[in-house]
Amino acid sequence: MKDKLLDAIEYLKSKGVDYADIRFVRTESERIQVKNENVDSINRQIDQGFGIRVIADGAWGFAASSTMKPASFRKIANRALQVAKASAMTKKQNVRLAEVEVCQDQFTTAFAVDPFKVRLDKKLKLLLGICEVLRKNSKIHTAEASMGFTRINKIFISTEGSVIEQDILESGSGYAATALADGETQRRSFPTSFGGDYGTGGYEIVENMALLDNAERIREEAIALLTAPPMPSGREDIIINSSQMALQIHESCGHPIELDRVLGTEISLAGGSFLTIDQLGKLQYGSDIVNINADATIPGALGTFGYDDEGVRAQRSPVIQNGKFVGYLTSRETAPVVNQRSNGAMRADGWGAIPLIRMTNINLEPGDVSLDDLMADTNDGYFVETNKSWSIDDKRLNFQFGLEVAWKIENGKKGQMYKNPLYTGMTPEFWNSCDAICDKNHWHVWGIPNCGKGEPMQTAHVAHGTSPARFRKIEVGVSK
Amino acid sequence: MIGQDKIFTTIEKVLASSKADQVEAVVTGSNIGLTRFANSFIHQNVALENTRVAFRVAIGNKIGVASCNSFTLTDLKRALRSAYEIAKRQRPNPDFDGLAQPSEYAKLDTHDPRTEKFSPKQRASKLKRVFTKGAKYDYDMAGAFSTDSGEVAVLNSNGVRCYQPYTSATINIIATGDDSSGYAASASGTVDGINVGELAGIAVKKCRKSRNPKDAKPGEYEVILEPAAIGELFEWLDFVAFGSKSYEEKTSFIAGREGEKVMGENVSIFDDALDPEHPGLAFDFEGVPRKRVELVEKGVAKGVVHSLLSAKRTGLESTGHCLPPEESAEGAIPLNIQLAAGDSTLDELIAEVEDGLLVTRFHYINGFLDPRVALMTGMTRDGLLRIKNGKLNGGVRNLRFTDSMLDVFSNVLGITSERKLVAPWWGGVASMCVPAMRIGKFKFTGKTDF
Repeated sequence: MKDKLLDAIEYLKSKGVDYADIRFVRTESERIQVKNENVDSINRQIDQGFGIRVIADGAWGFAASSTMKPASFRKIANRALQVAKASAMTKKQNVRLAEVEVCQDQFTTAFAVDPFKVRLDKKLKLLLGICEVLRKNSKIHTAEASMGFTRINKIFISTEGSVIEQDILESGSGYAATALADGETQRRSFPTSFGGDYGTGGYEIVENMALLDNAERIREEAIALLTAPPMPSGREDIIINSSQMALQIHESCGHPIELDRVLGTEISLAGGSFLTIDQLGKLQYGSDIVNINADATIPGALGTFGYDDEGVRAQRSPVIQNGKFVGYLTSRETAPVVNQRSNGAMRADGWGAIPLIRMTNINLEPGDVSLDDLMADTNDGYFVETNKSWSIDDKRLNFQFGLEVAWKIENGKKGQMYKNPLYTGMTPEFWNSCDAICDKNHWHVWGIPNCGKGEPMQTAHVAHGTSPARFRKIEVGVSK
Repeated sequence: MIGQDKIFTTIEKVLASSKADQVEAVVTGSNIGLTRFANSFIHQNVALENTRVAFRVAIGNKIGVASCNSFTLTDLKRALRSAYEIAKRQRPNPDFDGLAQPSEYAKLDTHDPRTEKFSPKQRASKLKRVFTKGAKYDYDMAGAFSTDSGEVAVLNSNGVRCYQPYTSATINIIATGDDSSGYAASASGTVDGINVGELAGIAVKKCRKSRNPKDAKPGEYEVILEPAAIGELFEWLDFVAFGSKSYEEKTSFIAGREGEKVMGENVSIFDDALDPEHPGLAFDFEGVPRKRVELVEKGVAKGVVHSLLSAKRTGLESTGHCLPPEESAEGAIPLNIQLAAGDSTLDELIAEVEDGLLVTRFHYINGFLDPRVALMTGMTRDGLLRIKNGKLNGGVRNLRFTDSMLDVFSNVLGITSERKLVAPWWGGVASMCVPAMRIGKFKFTGKTDF
């Protein structure tokens, strides 16, 4: 395979391109979904192909194909050239790329148990066993459990001389119980909603999740929500659990720091960003305890890799330091705008998509208080858990999140359960109201395997390390 | 494109090698040409060709699914064997009554050779006119212009042989000024069905009308929702209300309420892939011919769409809306939803509003808040305009809505006779045909800074 890729790159060099890279990607995946007493689906997919990115006449072109015949490589190279020449018809200036270290390297994520070698019976037994516990009360109308595994093999070769091979293995699982009675439906999920939690690694990730241990609690909470009162509206202190904090970071920090959004190139679908370049190094994004970094090197995290999809080495870079906004996620094309080299955030959804600036692992650094102590320190507020809905404006300022459950905190103690909690706010105001972040014992990196961006829509696998945190006087319960 | 003859010949060879009781192959081929532009130049330009083949294998009522994106006999047979191995180890599915039986399906004209051959250079030429229109007002023009072609084939061991080629063209354009933006979009089965210059003019005009936006207090407003905004609400209603999964799980507002009035009498919603003016795929991804399905008729809940499996579980018949095998856990989904037209023009609707807002489109809607009442939230964007005494009266800073769509569509005061084709984000042969609507009360619960 590598010979075919090298030949295509040599061919493009002979055509006098300004730059070209080729990526071969082979993805093998397995997804198992169980509903109630039945196996809903077991899918295995193999997907492979190659994509060629070219700068010719000072403009970008990209072409990709799943046809792996030898003649296909030069055919697609020519198509990428034609596309670049069409792009050049409207260019304002030539594309320039920041310098990058030329690398010949290999990268592999570590794992203990290859999930593709674990017997299907064992996987089904676990998922069906979870559903059995969830369905022990007839008020649970729907119990769903799933697990998924993906093995990605990539080869990247550029006209600058980089040759990089990567093998990335991802695993994860999760489940949900939907209770139904008298026209009311309520859902509880574990370890988080919308498919669960994912990381880079093997089947050991699933085995370490304590999935069965929590099924009874999740079932009872879903049923209790049916008769719980709705969360009242008002301005309240809230402690947000770790998995919801991950989504809060994702939507209100991870996306607005993508420099392509800032420069307007994602405006038609995903939108822009309030973090304009004049704010860099100046905006007090959050309170002085808020420290956020982008770190693609955390072992086991879903946003971890060796090199991004334009051959830039994975790295850690600061985003928010003591509350101040200090850094973007960048690419080789955008980084020069802020006088930097790329910090390695360009990733594509497989062989058939161009790389875009995507989140890696965007992490809120832990504070120094235990969750028990934080609860005890809260006289009057709510503890909110597990995302149910999410929405944010196209510059990432006004957001609203729905949660599965809220618990009243009175005099430092967790009390009454409430259903349908919501909270809403404006991003900088919200993060400046953060007055406590739980310590490293509560810190977890949550994998989000479904971050959408781009046209055609691309799905990225990203992650967020975070602990629970407290925010003061937040608008809550603002639905109908 | 591979073409019907080669697909049928190759797949029949593979199916013949199967040891399973029943086997099905779903072939989806696509050639995507997509040009993205921003800051009034082309910054991303893509040509992609791919063919996926998914095999569903049944041993008794044990089912396995495996897929690949190679069309060589070796790779196809490997994928088929993988599906067989899964089925061997599967648990029985008591709801599986067998794969589809052969049926006649409509022959729909969904393929336009000119759209298939439309080149990146031709797209760039058309976009130059967009940039020229924006330059007149120093507006940055952004968006995406795609011309796609594809083919879908479904074959099974019962003798089902379905094939349909298609093309589609879509464009969205955003004009951005100092403090405002304007949006226009169009979708069609043919590239000649898209008037790029006219759409650029609409986006520019909307941007100009939205200048110097004023604050509006959150609260209940009379609104006019343009087709793009209606389409975005219906993308969510597809999943939370009109699909078989939400119906079976009883989270859809249709479940258990068939025959009840759930919306206003002037609201009728249906799915119709066979409409000759807006044709979709004539069969679903298990080879069952699509039927027109009434979802809400004159405000009364009628039902949802089904696959063979969901129909068996609910004691109904398949409506021909099964998704591809890899997505079967999502249930059946309407792909060609339509909202019945009214008898007004957009200008007439605006003229009837004393004090209200015109919404061009929404952003980041979420419909998971409380699906039983279709409670949704989202933001306005790219053209929120005040209406005063029947006339557009300047831009308004964007607002967040949180409202039940059952309440919203129970309060429809007017519907345009003209409907527009809106491309949902999942693309392909899917489309929505929707009018603009005047809504008596629409609840905004928050605001933003721009």
